[in-house]
Amino acid sequence: MIDLIEVSKCFDGKRRVVALDRVDLRVDKGELAAIVGPSGSGKSTLLNLIGGLDRPTAGEIVIDGVRLNGISDDELTRVRRDKIGFIFQFFNLLPTLSCLENVALPLHLRGWPKKKTEARARELLELVGLSARLEHLPEELSGGERQRVAIARALAVYPPILLADEPTGNLDSRTGAEILSLIHDLHRRLGSTVLIVTHDTQIAATCPRLITLRDGRIVEDRRQ
Amino acid sequence: MRLARLIGWPYARKHVLRTCLTVAGIALGVAVFVAMHSANRAILGAFQRTVNQIAGSAQLQVTAGGFGFPEEILERVQSLPEVQVAVPVIEAVVDTGLAAQGSLLILGVDMTGDRSLRQYDLESGEEAIIEDPLVFLAQPDSLIVTREFAARNRLAIGSRLSLMTMEGPKEFVVRGIMRPGGFGRAFGGNVAVMDVYAAQKMLGRGRRFDRIDVGVREGIPVERCRQALQAALGPGFEVEPPGARGQHFESMLRGYTVTMNISSLFALFIGMFMIYNSFQIAVSERRNEIGILRALGATQAQIRGLFLVESAMLGGAGAAAGILLGGVLARFSAAYIGALLQDVYGVPQNIEAAELSTSLVAAGAALGVVASVVAAWIPSRAAARVDPVQALQKGKYQVLTAGENRTRRLAAAASLAAALVCLVVGDTAEVFYAGYLLAVLTAILLAPALSLWLSKLLRPLLRWLRPVEGTLAADSLIHAPRRTSATVAALMLSLAMVIGFGGMAGAIYDSVTEWMDQVLNPDLFVTASGSISQRNFTFPAAFARELEHIEGVEQVQVVRHARVIFRGVPVSVVAAEVEKLAGKVRRIVMQGKLDEMYRLTARGRGVIVSDNFADLRGVRLGEVVELPSPRGMLRLPVVGITRDYTDQQGSVLIDREVYRRWWQDDTADVLRVYLRPGFSPQEVKRRILEKFAARHRLFVLENAEVRREIVRLTDQWFGMTYNQIAVAVLVAVLGIVNTLTVSITDRRRELGVLQSVGGLRRQVRHTVWMEAVGIALIGLVLGLALGAVNLYYTVEMVHRVAGLRIDYQYPWRIAGLLIPGMLLIALVSALWPSEKAVRGRLVEALEYE
Amino acid sequence: MSRSTALLCLPPVFAAMLGAQEARSIVEEAQRRTRAESQRYEGTLEVIGNRGRIATKRWRYERLGSHGSSKAVLRFTAPPEVKGVALLIHNHPDRASDQWMWTPALQRERRIALQDRSTRFFGTDFSFEDLEERDVDQFDFRLLGEEQLEGAACWKIEASPKKTRASQYTRSLLWIRKDNYAWAQMEGYKGQRLIRRVRYLDLQPVQGIWTARRLEVTDFTRNSRTVLRLDKLEYNVKLSDDEFTLQALRRES
Repeated sequence: MIDLIEVSKCFDGKRRVVALDRVDLRVDKGELAAIVGPSGSGKSTLLNLIGGLDRPTAGEIVIDGVRLNGISDDELTRVRRDKIGFIFQFFNLLPTLSCLENVALPLHLRGWPKKKTEARARELLELVGLSARLEHLPEELSGGERQRVAIARALAVYPPILLADEPTGNLDSRTGAEILSLIHDLHRRLGSTVLIVTHDTQIAATCPRLITLRDGRIVEDRRQ
Repeated sequence: MRLARLIGWPYARKHVLRTCLTVAGIALGVAVFVAMHSANRAILGAFQRTVNQIAGSAQLQVTAGGFGFPEEILERVQSLPEVQVAVPVIEAVVDTGLAAQGSLLILGVDMTGDRSLRQYDLESGEEAIIEDPLVFLAQPDSLIVTREFAARNRLAIGSRLSLMTMEGPKEFVVRGIMRPGGFGRAFGGNVAVMDVYAAQKMLGRGRRFDRIDVGVREGIPVERCRQALQAALGPGFEVEPPGARGQHFESMLRGYTVTMNISSLFALFIGMFMIYNSFQIAVSERRNEIGILRALGATQAQIRGLFLVESAMLGGAGAAAGILLGGVLARFSAAYIGALLQDVYGVPQNIEAAELSTSLVAAGAALGVVASVVAAWIPSRAAARVDPVQALQKGKYQVLTAGENRTRRLAAAASLAAALVCLVVGDTAEVFYAGYLLAVLTAILLAPALSLWLSKLLRPLLRWLRPVEGTLAADSLIHAPRRTSATVAALMLSLAMVIGFGGMAGAIYDSVTEWMDQVLNPDLFVTASGSISQRNFTFPAAFARELEHIEGVEQVQVVRHARVIFRGVPVSVVAAEVEKLAGKVRRIVMQGKLDEMYRLTARGRGVIVSDNFADLRGVRLGEVVELPSPRGMLRLPVVGITRDYTDQQGSVLIDREVYRRWWQDDTADVLRVYLRPGFSPQEVKRRILEKFAARHRLFVLENAEVRREIVRLTDQWFGMTYNQIAVAVLVAVLGIVNTLTVSITDRRRELGVLQSVGGLRRQVRHTVWMEAVGIALIGLVLGLALGAVNLYYTVEMVHRVAGLRIDYQYPWRIAGLLIPGMLLIALVSALWPSEKAVRGRLVEALEYE
Repeated sequence: MSRSTALLCLPPVFAAMLGAQEARSIVEEAQRRTRAESQRYEGTLEVIGNRGRIATKRWRYERLGSHGSSKAVLRFTAPPEVKGVALLIHNHPDRASDQWMWTPALQRERRIALQDRSTRFFGTDFSFEDLEERDVDQFDFRLLGEEQLEGAACWKIEASPKKTRASQYTRSLLWIRKDNYAWAQMEGYKGQRLIRRVRYLDLQPVQGIWTARRLEVTDFTRNSRTVLRLDKLEYNVKLSDDEFTLQALRRES
């Protein structure tokens, strides 16, 4: 499902920073893996590369059989929107749109007809347990609820891959646990491949596969 | 201050482009202000300098308006014991016919005595020729030119120079070359001296002088001599120091100055909105930073100070750029206005350089800084009120408080009420201008609420156009009312300005056309000077009678125009054969009965004045006007007021007989020729030229040519206004670009999310474009509406300042052009920001705070 | 006893009075001796500029009457560019003269106003004023003494204009020959500054009147010199009054 071969990522600033150093990684369909490591170890960079939000400096990335190297930005966007759903630490909901509209946004962007879009958005919000909050604006919701909306949005087209960057990082522990169980639940029900970046060992402990990064390299990859 | 450098500078550097755009608004406003004032000053200065240089050491000048006076006056002046020297002068600007030389100021003087007043600092070597005025006087084709002029045209002593005289083109011989400096510097060196009697002949002056320059006897106060002269000559003459001519000239410039001031005020206003806008955004963007500063112990006053110092620095930078730009602009505008004055008023102009005075630079700088600080006042207050706890929480957006909105609406209502009161009771200029300002203020105060309301109205439309992008764009407009409304307000102001000036221009063109149709109906105009606005040359009246014998000519009307000083302002006096005129021209009557006023004027029992004369000089029907003439004050009642665009200072029509009697002059400068039916103007024109061109200086203009000339002059008059409009639109465009750039930055994360959830670049671009279109649409609606109000005030102002009554006509055509134009401009100005939106690094965008 | 010894015997005050009396009578006598009904000559004028350039002009001069009340016409005959330009002068005993100039090319006359007379006469070193005839009644005189000039004994007399008379000079010095009462030299001053010197040379009796046939004028402000030669000089020629009018001026050209 996800194949990384010798992937490196450097940032050229005043100082050259090597965020990822010749990383090889393979994630199979339907896996649920946690990526852990101290801050600055390259977790988020890895996730961004897999999600097609960023491009590697060297190496090859293949997502669901599509080689990302050398494809255009628009093609990359298409891969992203058809195959990947994102969940962010800060939710990244559009403050001006209602829950329903936020969830419907990716579908709109795909040019889905209005009726179908709305039906799917309702379905998704129901899935994350927010059917009562359809018309609310993000600022009227609690943090956990916002993250549920973000998850619903990430699932809009039922992408085969779900990427979560510190999904609980901005939530209290109780809500965090709720969100985590939601992700587990969705993984089970939808059979998606899920990668969660976290520094929370408790969360990591719940995942079947644990990938540990340090200084841009995978130092440990274990199935538990 | 240190805080500003520490915090503000990195921010400004990080947003170089935005900072530049913000500064650009102030820069343009200051530039227009500086350019106009320094151009004005340069023109006045050039005029004054020319006057002074030409006046030499003359302490007083005797004139009688533009008609001149008979030669005998000279002896009366010379016989006064207070007078040391009195020399006659004829002054005229003539075309040289030399390529790229333009006009030559011909100064006719009497060499036998003139050198006691003027230093003819002549090149050595030619001394014998120069020092021997006998040759100069004996040969009327003698000319003294300046070294500059000689060098430019490769002239030397003995060179020939062809000039158009009343007797056709004639060769003149350079018999002297003046050294630069003093008198030779006047009029940019394009000065030539000839014998006053030769000048009379050349210019068709008859036995008349334009002016007498007087040197006061030593030991006698100038004022006493002036009084003695005034008493000896009577009220028909002006006896004034040379400097007084500058004041008359300044009064002619006044209408223009007012327009310019208003334009630069508008530009500055628009610039202020851009500053306001930028700061508003900076405050919301830097809430986090402010929160940290506050948490670290910065007081509210320190935060406010930080922003105010920043704004002052921005204003200073803008002012500096504006002053530089203004200096450049001034050169162009001075040349332009100079040419205009020469064409419209026939005033000799030669602007050497528009220089920036220290006081003007200081004023420009102060203007920029003050405008900037005032504009940043509210945002900096908002910054000071930022709650540090809230600010430090991520992902929160600032919301416009309801209280602020209410206050604003109340202020708007109050200002509207005050504006209406001013309108109703407003009689004085101050109240009128206050009302104008209040009306604009009302619009500005209402702009946020209106633009919010319009954004909401616009949402379905944009959504219908493009469901996703449209909605996003509309929401962005709705949810960032500050960002939107400041730009909308700037746009509204500039569009209102376009509508106001455009409408005024359109209405004036219409009125001028109507007037031309009614009044300018002769088939041919025969003039002695090349254009209808110049009156340097005149015909003897007998020439008109000769012209009547040309086959095909039905009637010739003799007209003489000149300026006389009426209540301190040079107005135009038109002496025409009123009885003949009555048979041909139906003037557009404002007050009085046409036939009656014609009858009385023809009998020398009254004058007909133009509507702008009546308004500007405050003269009513029936009131007696006093016109200075060489025979004393001519007092005649106003028997009619008609619409007339002959002159911007107003014109007075008198009968030719009255003119002949009071001015003792029988010359004409324009002959209005009516043809018999069946004769073509071209044919008769050819005949006239065939018969007279060889021995008379004359120009035959067909009706259409004269109309074209008038339209051209009107164009020229408005040319500057159009440039101002262009500046206003430019500032507004800058505003849009600024807003969009800011909006893009503001929404970086949002746009990043959009892309991360699958938005294509195209879609992101469209969102930005639609936002721009949305702003333009709202700006258009408000601008076109405020334009209607602005036009009302502009029309009123034209009436008050220029005395022109023009009809209120909303310029639908201009509005029609503005709509697609502004939308297109908005789209174009969105191109760059939209690219910026899709080019940025997604990861950064998503993490952007 | 010679006059000078007599002067020495008198107290200074009387000497001054006597000096004035004396001076005036000398000038009167000089004037009387040059009185003629009319005069005509052809003048040749050479202006020697400060760089040695020479410009020549010629004119014909006719005068009716003399000293105080006279009329004169001066008509240029050369060089060609000034030919035909004429000057009409009416001298009055009680006030400054009237002068008109006629320019044939323009076919019109111009008045040369009183105030302009300090200006130079058409590029020469004469001023318009120098061309006027002085009348003894318009000046106050003072005898300063005697001097030898060009080998001839002269009285040196100071003349200052009376209030009624406008002059460019605040005072002038005259040298009048003792032998024939002819003017030998005149110097015009402005304050203490010497402006102009006229030397009367080549004295000859013409029809019983001692006349200088050569006048040399030096302008000290410009450092240039003009020499006027009088040819074909005649006195008491027949001239009529109406030849000295503006109409005549016009007619002639």
